[in-house]
Amino acid sequence: MPQYQQPLSWRLEGGGRILDLETAVKDGILGGGGGGGGGWGGPGCAAGGEKVDLKKMIEELEPVEDVPSVFICPISLEAMLDPVTLCTGQTYERTNILKWLSMGHLTCPTTMQELWDDAVTPNRTLHQLIHAWFSQRHLRFKKRSEDVQGRAAELLDTLRKVKGHARVQALKELQKMVVDHSSIKKTVADSGSIALLTSLLGPFTSHAVGSEAIGILVNLSLNSEAKANLMQPAKVSLVVDMLNEGTTETRINCTRLIEMLMGEKDFRPEIVSSLSLLVGLMRLVKDKKHHPSGTWAGLSLLKTICSHQRQVRSLIVRVGAVAQLVELLPDSSLECLELALQILNDLSAIPEGRVALKDCPQAIPNAVRLLMRVSESCTQHALSILWAVCKLAPDECASRAVEAGLAAKLLLVIQSGCSPELKQRSAELLKLCSLNYTATLFMSKCKLTGTIQ
Amino acid sequence: MLSLVLDSMGSFCSRQKPYNEADTEENEQDAEIERRIARETKAEQHIHKLLLLGAGESGKSTIFKQIKLLFQTGFDEAELRSYTSVIHANVYQTIKILYDGAKELAQNESDSSKYVVSLDNKDLGEKLSEIGSRLDYPYLTKEITNEIKTLWNDAAIQETYARGNILQVPDCAQYFMENLERLSEADYVPTKEDVLYARVRTTGVVEIQFSPVGESRKSGEVYRLYDVGGQRNERRKWIHLFEGVTAVIFCAAISEYDQMLFEDETKNRMMETKELFDWVLKQSCFENTSFMLFLNKFDIFEKKVQKVPLNICEWFRDYQPMASGKQEVEHAYEFVKKKFEELYFQSTKPERVDRVFKIYRTTALDQKLVKKTFKLVDETLRRRNLIEAGLL
Repeated sequence: MPQYQQPLSWRLEGGGRILDLETAVKDGILGGGGGGGGGWGGPGCAAGGEKVDLKKMIEELEPVEDVPSVFICPISLEAMLDPVTLCTGQTYERTNILKWLSMGHLTCPTTMQELWDDAVTPNRTLHQLIHAWFSQRHLRFKKRSEDVQGRAAELLDTLRKVKGHARVQALKELQKMVVDHSSIKKTVADSGSIALLTSLLGPFTSHAVGSEAIGILVNLSLNSEAKANLMQPAKVSLVVDMLNEGTTETRINCTRLIEMLMGEKDFRPEIVSSLSLLVGLMRLVKDKKHHPSGTWAGLSLLKTICSHQRQVRSLIVRVGAVAQLVELLPDSSLECLELALQILNDLSAIPEGRVALKDCPQAIPNAVRLLMRVSESCTQHALSILWAVCKLAPDECASRAVEAGLAAKLLLVIQSGCSPELKQRSAELLKLCSLNYTATLFMSKCKLTGTIQ
Repeated sequence: MLSLVLDSMGSFCSRQKPYNEADTEENEQDAEIERRIARETKAEQHIHKLLLLGAGESGKSTIFKQIKLLFQTGFDEAELRSYTSVIHANVYQTIKILYDGAKELAQNESDSSKYVVSLDNKDLGEKLSEIGSRLDYPYLTKEITNEIKTLWNDAAIQETYARGNILQVPDCAQYFMENLERLSEADYVPTKEDVLYARVRTTGVVEIQFSPVGESRKSGEVYRLYDVGGQRNERRKWIHLFEGVTAVIFCAAISEYDQMLFEDETKNRMMETKELFDWVLKQSCFENTSFMLFLNKFDIFEKKVQKVPLNICEWFRDYQPMASGKQEVEHAYEFVKKKFEELYFQSTKPERVDRVFKIYRTTALDQKLVKKTFKLVDETLRRRNLIEAGLL
């Protein structure tokens, strides 16, 4: 009998094993798995009942990586729940092949042979094998989940009793488990352990304990009470300290935690009007080269702070954020660019921010460069920033902007498919810039030269 | 001539070959000395230098004593006994300051009558004031103790004590007055707590070397702690200690916002601390030094802040009280903390912003608290070490 070669596209990540009988026996697939391996009932009814179980098991196990290729229907590329065989000897999922035949085809889809007999024969053997295989897998999966739940409960219990090094180890393991198995999150939340974890955070919490506890809390869904608890000054101080001193992962967790707290309605702005926090955030943002994920997390929190807590904006300018953000703009990813520009835009709304932008030599050229061909949101923010700066000091800034190629860019914006408001603003800015030039000179500045990208 | 050349030719060649016997020994010795110097320099590098700085009476020496108690062999009986004279001196000084202060207030204040010491006690007062002005104090006998106690309980003296902030009443006053019985026992040996409260102005520099013993009993880190005098005239000695410092522990007594300097009664203590901290931060030798700010005397601050408003101090004039009770204390503390934070970032150049800066709330007299605080300081410095070595 010719060995059927699976097309390459069917090779799954785990490598679709071709199931041979020896392996099957060795792995105990035949009659080894508990649920329904052997002894299925009579034809028909039992098959129906088992099929439902099988479907459920496959769903729960999704995604399964190394399903043996012979269990896969050639038409749907999914595991077969009710395999039937044609007269050519090829096996398909019943519903799929019946659909094929009902469309008028009288050939075998894989071999292209003409069918001399349109009967479909249920392939009981294959069905039994598929069921056994998935049952075994399912059993293993269920056992591992229970193990995980049990282990989590053990750890939470331990945390109530131990201190020092043992505490750190328990927290470390729990943190890893929460990240790897989302099923535990509910267990942790239900057992009142959130209160336990928050109680571990205080003015005398060591860095080791604090960073792990925060690593766990940030992955759980916290109710208002828990968040209110976390907003206590001593706990916030700890979070800020860890934002300044921790590994990149810890820092990112701290930013996420603070963002979670900011969502609460009785969030007090004093919490984020901390110089230490802002300096720490900028430090995280600046480290683009080594830890780009940190940059995005830092920018995200900074943006949230800027847009929701306007009082904090002057503090943000005071820690020198403007120059550092401007420096960040070239070679940033799109998400980071949009965040950074939005922050700069928000900062340009206050006088200190405008002055800082004016005094930063790279601000105008970078903003001009980002006016086009990035995203509409970038265009909007860059335009707004340039507006604010040129309005502040038209003589100085407008000319710098024009020298950086602003005029030509603005023309492009006006001609592009962006919103009418943007076009309007661009036109106004163009007019503002043109005031200092004679008509001819300005026209020459509007030409797209090779240096302007 | 040729022989000379030939001779020197030989010696030129021999530079490439191993030295002869005498040279070998000398070189061996040189190498050994070099190795020893390298070893000792390396050992020194593993000793982290900690500097306790701060204005006078900010609690530096108390922290110093606590570290001694926690990580060294503590005080043996001889050392404890050596503090007896200091403690007795504190008692005499306190009662003198209070009596003299009462007299002054009786003269200058509008409601002077409450500061007038009762007739019976006046003689006592005069006598004790005279004793207090001597250079040598007599031992605290039962008789004198009773006299002091009587005077202390005088209404006028108590009223004066309540105005203690405008006089130079030491913080240990109440504690010693309450324990007078014990202090005057014939075979009195000061307790650890007594020693912690004992007040003597530090002059010069004191140092101890210690290793904080952790849970795992494996210490590794060796610290050398330096304590200095905080008064103005002592500060010129500080500069000699500024090289190669791992961390500065700056003590600021936050309860002093309504008190004046000992060395200059026209200067507010908190303003002095502010300027001093600013000055220390700007020192070029501290570019890479970690700064641990101990906001000290929280126990006194707690009680005071509910009676004396913070805005009495110029630096805190924009303080707005929010609630009352414990919440108010927390609010006030956070305010003071923010002020110091602001000061730090104002006084720190942008390049230096990466040095470690942490604020701790302390009560130097509480041993448990100091131990916990120091554990955190130790952890921070060890992490810093690892980060700098590229291991974290």
